[in-house]
Amino acid sequence: MTILELNNITKTFGGIRAVDSITIGFKKSKITGLIGPNGAGKTTLFNLINGFFKPDFGIIRYKNIRIDSKPPWKIAKLGIGRLFQDVRVFGKLTVLENVLLANINEMGESPFTLLLNLKEVKRQEKENIEKAKHWINFVGLSNKENSPAESLSFGQQKLLAIARLLAGNYEVLLLDEPTAGVNPALIKSILKIFLKMIEYGKTIIFIEHNMNVILEIADWVYFLDEGKVTAFGSPSDVLENPEVRKTYLGL
Amino acid sequence: MEYIVHILIMICIYGILALSLNLLVGYSGLLSLSHAAFYAIGAYTTTLFMMNAEFNFFTALIYGIIVTAISAIFIAYPSLRLKGDYFILTSLGFQLIIFNILYNWVGLTKGPYGIPGIPKPRLFGIEFYSNYLYLLLSIFFFSMVFIFLRLLYNSPFGRALKALREDEIAAGALGKEVPKLKIWAFIIASAIAAIAGALYASYITYIDPTSFTLDESIFIVSILLIGGSGNIKGPLVGTVFMIILPELLRFIGLPNTIAPNVRQMIYGLLLIILMRYRPQGLAGEYRFE
Repeated sequence: MTILELNNITKTFGGIRAVDSITIGFKKSKITGLIGPNGAGKTTLFNLINGFFKPDFGIIRYKNIRIDSKPPWKIAKLGIGRLFQDVRVFGKLTVLENVLLANINEMGESPFTLLLNLKEVKRQEKENIEKAKHWINFVGLSNKENSPAESLSFGQQKLLAIARLLAGNYEVLLLDEPTAGVNPALIKSILKIFLKMIEYGKTIIFIEHNMNVILEIADWVYFLDEGKVTAFGSPSDVLENPEVRKTYLGL
Repeated sequence: MEYIVHILIMICIYGILALSLNLLVGYSGLLSLSHAAFYAIGAYTTTLFMMNAEFNFFTALIYGIIVTAISAIFIAYPSLRLKGDYFILTSLGFQLIIFNILYNWVGLTKGPYGIPGIPKPRLFGIEFYSNYLYLLLSIFFFSMVFIFLRLLYNSPFGRALKALREDEIAAGALGKEVPKLKIWAFIIASAIAAIAGALYASYITYIDPTSFTLDESIFIVSILLIGGSGNIKGPLVGTVFMIILPELLRFIGLPNTIAPNVRQMIYGLLLIILMRYRPQGLAGEYRFE
């Protein structure tokens, strides 16, 4: 079943077509990899799905709802989460606070409900702290719970960003180079987390330059070059493609 | 003793201003140079309702808060798209516009002549005429504001504001409704500044536009820069420090002719030293960048 559908999406920046008439249907509970050289339009595609950019042409549908003109927060609330390439954790906030911010429908975020229903807000907060601790523990950062995020190493910040993403309970996860800058042992545990997410029925779309990771977990791969999809199929098929080998892998 | 009571009342008034501006500067990361404008709108609206409509202080204050909160929306809108330096300039513009309205709309505000004879608050037959009683009233308002803002600072609302201060894009991707959060922060911060304005007007019993100039806005911001922002301690430490410092300087025996200048120089020097060695302020959490 297709959960997220891009139909003829185009985005230009000052005459350059960063994304050029891309049509892709992402399947539910599958891991789809996006590969391609730098500047191929992979991150732009994520920014379009996410609502940070509006497409010049084309339609994006999530569960049959048009999302291409919705703001990012609405898209997040509908169930699409994002892991940024540069992690984007909230540096001055603690690890726990970072994960707590993942709660989508937090009552206490509106001053009105906060004042009118303080008891319920406090109850929800208590519950959310327990959940947040579960995810912090899940990625192995329990001993850092009260440290500011900026004090963590890059790899740990990535784990924190993953915990934050998982706590958001999104259905579709957009992961921008989830294993870049992470040591090999950590990569293994991150991949395990992703495979577990698929068991929970989540859909993963990820951008990756590490071909071993692609071969290991992707069900389906799209190769992007100059804003266009030029090859797609199973990971081994795409990596065997002569054009991919030549333009991307340099073989 | 009267003198100490006066200082304490001023600490309450500026404490309210600093705590409310903290919601914008320390929590939302919006360095606003228009807080004196909201302080002014609160002071003038409350005064005009008391003097022209003969409302009781407390009723007039409610109107003052409402009018100030509505005017906050005008500055909140441009802030939805602007951050950093651009926002600072927008708030500066707003401050200048309000000052000029107060100065030139003579029919309503009596312009540069100011409004004298502002009545004192009266409640259940008690008139808060003596400074001691006024101090009690100021402490009451200060405590209410303190309790309310502490609740907000430590709530999911405060946390969401901090998130957008740190990274608006990441906050949006986590489903935080950035525009709504900013508008709320503005409305609340300004409405609370109105309380300080009303307290000031009725305490001094006279207001004119020179009490609400850009200098005043800068003074409130410097309370937060010196004391610190992003938590509840910073604004309080800053207020006590900035209100008491000039009073202490009185006692070192500087000739009256140069005392104000020396005071300004000491403020300036302090800011430079703090920004260099302790950019988060004496007791703050957030370093404004």
